Amino acid sequence: MRTALATIFAGLLASTPLAAQSVEDFPSQPMTYIIPFNAGGESDISARFQQSEWENVTGHQVIIQYQPGAGGAQAWSQLNSLPGDGYTIMGINLPHTALQPLEGSVGYATEDLTPVHYFHYTPDAIFVRAQSEFTSLEQLVEFAKENPGLVTFAGSGSNSSNNLAAIRFNEQAGVTTTYVPFSGTGPSITAVLGGSTMAGFNYATSGVSQGDAMRMLAVASEERLEAFPDVPTFKELGYDIVGGAYRGVAVPASTSEELRQRISDIVSEINAQPAFVEKMESAGFVLTDIGYDEMDEFVAERVEEYTAGAKALGIIQ
Amino acid sequence: MEIIGYLLDALTPLNLMLALIGVILGTVIGALPGLSATMAVAVLVPFTFAMDPAAGLIALGAIYTGAIYGGAYAAILVNTPGTPSAIATTFDGFPMARRGDGGLAISLATIASVVGGIVGAVALLVLAPPLAKVALAFGPTEYFWLAMFGLTLIAALSVGNTVKGLIGACIGLFLSMIGVAVVGGDVRYTMGMQRFLAGIDLTSAIIGLYCVPVILDLVANADPHLKPSDTGGLRFAEGLRYSLSRKLNVIRSSVIGTVIGILPGAGGSIAGLVSYSEARRSSGNPESFGKGNPDGVIATEAANNATVGGGFIPTLVLGIPGTPPDAIILGALLVQGIKIGPTLFTTDANIVYTFIWGLLVATILMLPVGLLIGRYAYSSITKVPKAVLAPTVALLTIIGAFAIHSNVDDAQLMVGLGILAWILNRYGFQPSPIVLGLVLGSIAEQGFVQTYLIGSASGRLTEMFFMRPISIGIIGAALLTLIFPIWSDWKAKRRNQILQVSEPMADGGTEITPEPKTRDVPGMVLAVIFIALGIAIYFGASTLSALGSVFPITIAAALVGFSALLIVMNLRRPAGGPSETLHLDGGAKRRMALGAIMLAWVLLMPEIGFLVTSIIAFVAIMVIADYDRPPARTWAIWIASGVLICVGFWWLMANVLLLRMPAGVLF
Repeated sequence: MRTALATIFAGLLASTPLAAQSVEDFPSQPMTYIIPFNAGGESDISARFQQSEWENVTGHQVIIQYQPGAGGAQAWSQLNSLPGDGYTIMGINLPHTALQPLEGSVGYATEDLTPVHYFHYTPDAIFVRAQSEFTSLEQLVEFAKENPGLVTFAGSGSNSSNNLAAIRFNEQAGVTTTYVPFSGTGPSITAVLGGSTMAGFNYATSGVSQGDAMRMLAVASEERLEAFPDVPTFKELGYDIVGGAYRGVAVPASTSEELRQRISDIVSEINAQPAFVEKMESAGFVLTDIGYDEMDEFVAERVEEYTAGAKALGIIQ
Repeated sequence: MEIIGYLLDALTPLNLMLALIGVILGTVIGALPGLSATMAVAVLVPFTFAMDPAAGLIALGAIYTGAIYGGAYAAILVNTPGTPSAIATTFDGFPMARRGDGGLAISLATIASVVGGIVGAVALLVLAPPLAKVALAFGPTEYFWLAMFGLTLIAALSVGNTVKGLIGACIGLFLSMIGVAVVGGDVRYTMGMQRFLAGIDLTSAIIGLYCVPVILDLVANADPHLKPSDTGGLRFAEGLRYSLSRKLNVIRSSVIGTVIGILPGAGGSIAGLVSYSEARRSSGNPESFGKGNPDGVIATEAANNATVGGGFIPTLVLGIPGTPPDAIILGALLVQGIKIGPTLFTTDANIVYTFIWGLLVATILMLPVGLLIGRYAYSSITKVPKAVLAPTVALLTIIGAFAIHSNVDDAQLMVGLGILAWILNRYGFQPSPIVLGLVLGSIAEQGFVQTYLIGSASGRLTEMFFMRPISIGIIGAALLTLIFPIWSDWKAKRRNQILQVSEPMADGGTEITPEPKTRDVPGMVLAVIFIALGIAIYFGASTLSALGSVFPITIAAALVGFSALLIVMNLRRPAGGPSETLHLDGGAKRRMALGAIMLAWVLLMPEIGFLVTSIIAFVAIMVIADYDRPPARTWAIWIASGVLICVGFWWLMANVLLLRMPAGVLF
């Protein structure tokens, strides 16, 4: 009896540093993962891929909820009012969270948000539909030089990664093209496929979902993509365009340092699951592993880059 | 023949059971305003990961189609579209219910939904790849004109009161511009307030504009909410006979619904509005639309359920989701490792065709399920005492507006807009034009600016706007819709002049009030306010980017123009007539008390907590809505059921739909 009591007492003592222990056991119940966009976009699909691995890695499910509005700003402006117990996490995107606060009062500042892990990005890419006369970027650039303004690019939204890339392309190639914003990837791809616009500045992931119906002329990644070994990068072709939309996971500011690190580790671990890697890469996503310890540096670099882009867009002087 | 073989796969006991449960769940969720198909599908997706892909898809598809159908109940019984797809169902469904034909309206909605759903699903089954091309043939120009076509319905909906209808549309269009603009990226008309950043949420606006006035009128007098039907029941046989005699309307509306469903981003609400407009135009008796013509219910319900099958066409063939539920189902497919796209119908034929057959089976199951749930819903709405009905409906509006984003701001906006809508409606400004403007505004604006950009780039602006073949067709249809009511109005006036008979006055709050022939002073006062609003919109646009300011400036000009026209028209009329003095009778007092309680409810909810405020408000509204002064025992039963209803919904939202409930000080 005495030993039994002693054991219990010892057990209680061992568990005294409650915070530390709860982080080790975290999570002990299902987590909620808020996507600040509508269903069906890249943020949703990559989160759904994570969701199918979540239980294997953490022992608990994750519930995905949508809170779309104002290009994500609606949800991000409320992030810090959520409980910081680690059980509520939110998807976070760049350049959105860097550009939106520059555009006006959107209810949060870039540094108010606490991303703990950026797990992938979707590089920008130029697409034309299969019937298009253009088979290489060179032809498109030549045509654009001869006909200033005539080339139209469909893209997802104003002041988005697609829009930044289109502006940068104009600068680098010395051409004038027209960027036409649509309300998301779906509608802008529809415009390209239907021939409403001559070409599209979209994400490389669309190349996978559309198969032979669209042709990717160049992609804004450092290296050629696994899924598209024949598509050259902008860099190869002599244009300094590398970028796209980065997606990660953020927590409310009240979340403890230990939990931030723990959630970052969970996302990292999911990123290493072979089935997850296979699904993501074959869908055209490029995995990154930017954990909590490297976060400040990463965000600072991106913000610098996007601020320059925002000047080009005319958002700031 | 292979396709037929997959039918057997869809008919396994498991798949049949999933289809049945899905339809029941979907119908109930759809019937509750604010709880949407998107929400239900999103919560259930993880459960399908462990299922066979086809079985999971059948469950999700069944919920989706059930929810679109279920939206009709709330539209018919309480004048509130359960889903935005059912907006046009309220136009005739609620007047039918008020005069005692609610059961018939539900039967017709059920039959039309099943037929529409079958037409959409059959199109998906046999014609999906070629029909997907329709989605691509619709460019920004066509979307712009489609939205314009939708707006022409205002002319038909507000015959004899067109200027007020147009002003209402401008207000709706203005509301649609609030928030961050897709095109141009400007932050517009938020007045620096965080809550307006994401814009006015369509669903909460619809709930407010349509349902709050109904509750306010509900407590104002002792009359029953709906006139009890003479025969009782759903009058299914009668509904079936009527539907058979309206074959053309059913089929035409189903085809319109299928085609509009194929267009990504257009959706069930536009499909319902367009087919409603077509049904009205081709009817021999267009004046009866909006006053309880069964054809209006048939047209809308056939069309909105046809969009389910139609919407899956671009989703499965092109990987471009037609609607938000389609998008979630698309994500579920991708997680299962199924590659969407043109090859899907060959590489994964077994999954796709089993799913489509399952969707078809679920659609047919809607008939028995719908008739059962419908009978129950109708009889409970007619039998529940007013003192319980009014607070229950009020609770549902608040839950519905809150649930969309787990956000109390939406509920506050809903109540505010609702009270405003009641006042405007009182002076002849109907809610429907405002809703049409709100639904169609962003589609119209994006289509317009995109067409403008593309047209200017190529220097063929006029050609882009007016010369594309599909556009010409839509413009033609729009002109017909616009001119037809004016023409028939003129014809009716001529006939009246000859007969020297005055026009019959329409009765009932939901119907069109004919313009008074004497000077309408409150209307003029409101017009002055609208002119001020228009000027404010105009000056607010000066800081916006070129892309973001085109539309606001146009709307501001139109609002000022129409309001000035209204004032001029009134100045030409003789003054006087029965002058309206504001006297506070019992009904007005009850209305004001109810409005105040609903405002207090949504304002205090984040401070005190959802459950406590709801129970208190529920009991308070009971007191306001009670005319019978029943014994204490009845009161005890009523209060107990009120508490039960509040706790039940709270539990459902917190634990099943997993919403983040406002906690506050208490709970």
